[in-house]
Amino acid sequence: MEHAAAAAAAAQHAVESGSKVQDLAWAILVLPLVMAFGTAVFTPRDRMLSAAMNIGGVVVAFLLSFTLFCVFGGQSVDATPFHWLPVAGLDARIGLHLDALSTLMLLVVTGVASLVMIYSTGYMHDDRSYSRFFSTLSLFVFSMLGIVLADNLLMLFVFWELVGVSSYLLIGFWYEKPSAGDASKKAFLTNRIGDFGFMLGILVVWSLAGTLDIAALKEKLVANPALLGPWAGLAGLLIFMGAMGKSAQFPLHVWLPDAMEGPTPVSALIHAATMVAAGVYMLCRVFFLYTAAPGWPAVLGVLDVVSAASIITCIGGFTALFAAVIAVQQDDIKRILAYSTLSQLGLMVMAVGLGAKTGDASASMYHLVTHAGFKAMLFLGAGSVIHACHHEQDIWKMGGLRTRMPRTFWTFLIGTAALAGLPPLSGFYSKDEILAVALEANPIFFGVGVLVTVLTTFYMSRLLLVAFLGKPRGEGADHAHESPSSMTVPLLVLAIPSVMVAWLPIGGFLAHHFQPGHAAHGGDILFGPFNHNPIAAFFGLGAAIFGFSLAYSLYGNGPAADPLSPRLGLLAQAMRHRFYIDDIYDGLVVPLHNLLSQVADTIDRWLIAGLAVRGLAGVVEIAGRALRLVQTGSIQTYAFLLTASVLLIVLLALK
Amino acid sequence: MTAMDSLTPVLLTPVVTALLLLLVPGNLRVVLRAVAIVGSALTAWTAIGLFSRFHPGEAGLQFESMVPWVTVGPMKLAYHVGADGLNIGLILVTGLVGLAAVLVSWNIERHVKLFYVLLMLMISGAMGAFASLDLVLFYFFNELALVPTFIMIGVWGRGEDRNWAAFKITLYLTLGALTALVGLVALYVAAGADSLDVTVLQRHLAAHPLPVAAQVWIFPLVVFGFAVLVGLFPFHSWAPLGYAAAPTATAMMHAGILKKAGLYAILRVAVPLMPEGASRWLPLVAVLAIGNLLHCAWVALRQKDMNLLIGNSSLAHMGFAFLGIASLTVIGVTGTVLLMVAHALLAALSFALSGYLETQTGTLDMTRMGGLLRRMPFYGTALVMGFMAGCGLPGFANFAGEATILFGAWKALPLLVVIAAWSGLVIGAVAMLRALRAVLQGPERPEFARVADTGYWRRLPFVVLLAAMVLFGVAPGLLTTRIEPAARVVVAAHRASSPAAPAGSEAPAPAASAHSPGTPAQSRH
Amino acid sequence: MIPGLHHYLIVSALLFSLGLLGVVARRNLFVVYMGLELMLNAANLALVAFSRFHNNLNGQVMVFFIITVAAAEVAVGLALLVALYRKRQTADVEDLTTLKL
Repeated sequence: MEHAAAAAAAAQHAVESGSKVQDLAWAILVLPLVMAFGTAVFTPRDRMLSAAMNIGGVVVAFLLSFTLFCVFGGQSVDATPFHWLPVAGLDARIGLHLDALSTLMLLVVTGVASLVMIYSTGYMHDDRSYSRFFSTLSLFVFSMLGIVLADNLLMLFVFWELVGVSSYLLIGFWYEKPSAGDASKKAFLTNRIGDFGFMLGILVVWSLAGTLDIAALKEKLVANPALLGPWAGLAGLLIFMGAMGKSAQFPLHVWLPDAMEGPTPVSALIHAATMVAAGVYMLCRVFFLYTAAPGWPAVLGVLDVVSAASIITCIGGFTALFAAVIAVQQDDIKRILAYSTLSQLGLMVMAVGLGAKTGDASASMYHLVTHAGFKAMLFLGAGSVIHACHHEQDIWKMGGLRTRMPRTFWTFLIGTAALAGLPPLSGFYSKDEILAVALEANPIFFGVGVLVTVLTTFYMSRLLLVAFLGKPRGEGADHAHESPSSMTVPLLVLAIPSVMVAWLPIGGFLAHHFQPGHAAHGGDILFGPFNHNPIAAFFGLGAAIFGFSLAYSLYGNGPAADPLSPRLGLLAQAMRHRFYIDDIYDGLVVPLHNLLSQVADTIDRWLIAGLAVRGLAGVVEIAGRALRLVQTGSIQTYAFLLTASVLLIVLLALK
Repeated sequence: MTAMDSLTPVLLTPVVTALLLLLVPGNLRVVLRAVAIVGSALTAWTAIGLFSRFHPGEAGLQFESMVPWVTVGPMKLAYHVGADGLNIGLILVTGLVGLAAVLVSWNIERHVKLFYVLLMLMISGAMGAFASLDLVLFYFFNELALVPTFIMIGVWGRGEDRNWAAFKITLYLTLGALTALVGLVALYVAAGADSLDVTVLQRHLAAHPLPVAAQVWIFPLVVFGFAVLVGLFPFHSWAPLGYAAAPTATAMMHAGILKKAGLYAILRVAVPLMPEGASRWLPLVAVLAIGNLLHCAWVALRQKDMNLLIGNSSLAHMGFAFLGIASLTVIGVTGTVLLMVAHALLAALSFALSGYLETQTGTLDMTRMGGLLRRMPFYGTALVMGFMAGCGLPGFANFAGEATILFGAWKALPLLVVIAAWSGLVIGAVAMLRALRAVLQGPERPEFARVADTGYWRRLPFVVLLAAMVLFGVAPGLLTTRIEPAARVVVAAHRASSPAAPAGSEAPAPAASAHSPGTPAQSRH
Repeated sequence: MIPGLHHYLIVSALLFSLGLLGVVARRNLFVVYMGLELMLNAANLALVAFSRFHNNLNGQVMVFFIITVAAAEVAVGLALLVALYRKRQTADVEDLTTLKL
């Protein structure tokens, strides 16, 4: 019994030391994994049991998360860690950290995941890989919870990768569709490029600070802001690369729209509440890296004028605008939502960058939470529409769904209004915080935020007007009827937070996390925004109204085709083709790697295996052929040669 | 020390099995197979027992046994075996891979008896090579394992190229081994000790270190000789070709286990005994490792044949191992040994998977496949897991090894770490995902309508290997607590001789400091 | 005249040369074999002579060994020759060149 077995340690510890309430976090983390494994091994053919097990696991995780949230609130506590990779100098642990950020995210992730799973019982009803679907979803939830609970960078990376692979499995769920296979591959590989930077960032931080633990790192940086010295900027940017991959920031954004090939519940889970949120969440976790003294190594001297945070702001702002513009000319209902997600994530990333100046990233986190709710609702609503229209995804073939699918319509409407930022829905309050931060920090980005709001309202109204109002334009839409209650009830449940958030002090809760001394302003209650920062609030509201009127003037009369496309001409072409970014990658990056591999293969085949090895072999063979002439096969010749050689040696020796 | 706590049973079991097999008439295939399975299972079980009784956190040898044999002139030869952190993990995986290799050989039809005898000899040779502390014994066991490789490729090999492959692999490995032998003999002569026993050499050289001039030319002989066995760029081109031609079990044993003997010898002999040579020559090894990391990874990207893909990407992983050695840090060397264990399992699994696929589809040309996941759910899952482990997914032991190496090498060789991370995280992933896309995803092909998933018993080898990979991926501490004290010894000589070594990322923690405060239960036997 | 050591050695050398000539020049395998025996006995003669003149019995002991081993060798060698003859119907050295690549 004296041997150290780390695996057993953690499990046993988590169970035995029941005195620590925070060890419940282990149960939250492990439960979905157990269910995923159990489903894959024991009940691959029992549909009912598979669904029940996995939904049960996630719902219990949600209830436990809620318990922890109530017990600890914003308090910062650690569960008993498990020494995963103990080597002196690199004590990589799997440790769970609970604080305002992680408990809130736990609620969001498990809450949305439970609803998505319940919804899936209806949506995936006819799929023959029903059990596999649920088990993969649980695996995904496990990975995501690992990111949320991670207390150190390496563990963050570990679960980062696990999220990558489980999203690969989910996006490629319908693997027989070539496009799904390609999309899953693309998502994983694009993420891997981000992870490459993330890993290097972790290495830089570890080698300078000597620790992987986030809390310890923060302490060290507070004690000595110049700890990372000239590497601070680079470390920040490299770690941000990880976020660029997961949160799909330009130029690593290409995977997200393609990832819509996965089943719609997957899109709702991955692209609203979890995977894409991971990047922003991680930035908030290591936020202190960006508020520390900036610095660059001598080689990158040109960057001296900027900080990592300002680069992040620019990338976020650009992504927000860029994706919003593309969304305006998309026709696939899921792709519109995908680009909308990209754009909103851009806003959040921008808010993190801007927040670095004031040391408060709560605006970004706040928007992340509200966005998770209404975007999941929108995706699930879209799924309901697609399900009803027999897998028709083109909005120009829908129309008139308002009367046929009332519940879906009303929840979709609430989601759209929340996304557009209309009070008193959640999106208004969180977006307002971002605009307020931007106004304070840099008016240019305030402008970006307002413009994005206009565009967001515009394309969402376009979607709503074309798909739900007017007359049906296609067979599917004509015969559509409301989805089963297993699908509509989650929609209704998801509408609650969108409506209720205005009365909950989430913003203040988060601000307290980032700036403990800072008194939370009471801005969350209904008219708060108009009081403490009227400019931002009025601009936000005005932008939404302007965007809607613009959309109504174009699409209000139920046109049969997009009237905007001919007016924009070539620009519309570019927007439809996502500004050709994917084509550039396909045309440049992919062939480059292929070329390199071809060159390497040629070297291998011809230079090393051919010239060097066969060359050597050839020389040996020629020598062998020459010497072969001596071998007559006659014993007597051999005997003669032997005698002659002995005589020769004797003569030489006697000499 | 009871009689149980010795490495001798684990060495003898496969030999005895081979002898028993010789007694069975050649036409009783079922009996032959049963004997081989029982023998290799016993070996694996013994190895597991040894691993679990090994005391972690302790430096020095355990399960040591020594029987003097003969004295030839000034040289004493002895049967001297023992385990420490460097080899206990390898002994364990040799047992597991050996079992899996026997289990996957159900489709051997010709000369069944000879096949299993040779396979058992391979297992015992590999075990012996890892266990022996006398270098003469090491060399003997290593050759005992290599010779069956050549015969098996020649007799049961696949493809038209198999004679050329057998020829090439024989030449390369023999030349590599001979070069290393010359180095070992030179080491013996230069050291002036009275045997080639590692422990004796170590004591002797600690008192009378080799002159730098001698180290500088002996070290490359030993290291590059053994590096050929591992497939260091540019001495690597035998490997993919050889594995593509080898029967499945041979490829599993060789790529998984025997390749590691070269790395093991470098860590056991070259680096600790010749620290000056190491600091002179390891930078070159590190540069050549780039060849493995980039060149082989790119070559893997282009392969259409699954075996060539696996062979090349496994060479890329060997780049990581060389990088860890070249870093000369405790973390780096620990990571290397961890990766050796992990890669043994992965390489064996990959070849087992490709072997099974070939029995079903009759081809390994990936461009001709597609949509096989529908027909083969278990096989597909195993393939996804194996290939994901191959591109460094956490949760599998390979990630633990690679990450540890990256951390260990970061300060000493930052540029190489960047390259390694790119190779492991991106290029490797592209190659693996392309393969998965081609084989499993996409629409079903009518010509493969009759492929069948693995039956329950045939799942066993995959399950054994995957379970071990996941176990060491979830709890790599099981290995690192055993490896670290030994890694410290490997690096210690280097530290002592050159204080300005580019290491220093390690905290000066005592070797045996227990990392897990919980000090939990360990499976008992 | 009392024969001295060099007389014995000369005889031994002559015998050896004759034997060698037989081995190298004769065609018939049996004659080649007899040549071989002749060389062996030449060496024996030299050994006995050295032993006698140096007052050291080691040489004679060695000769006894050689005689015993040679007996065994002749038995095996002749058996091989007979087997070869049965297989090939020839005992001519020129016909036996299978060692040639």
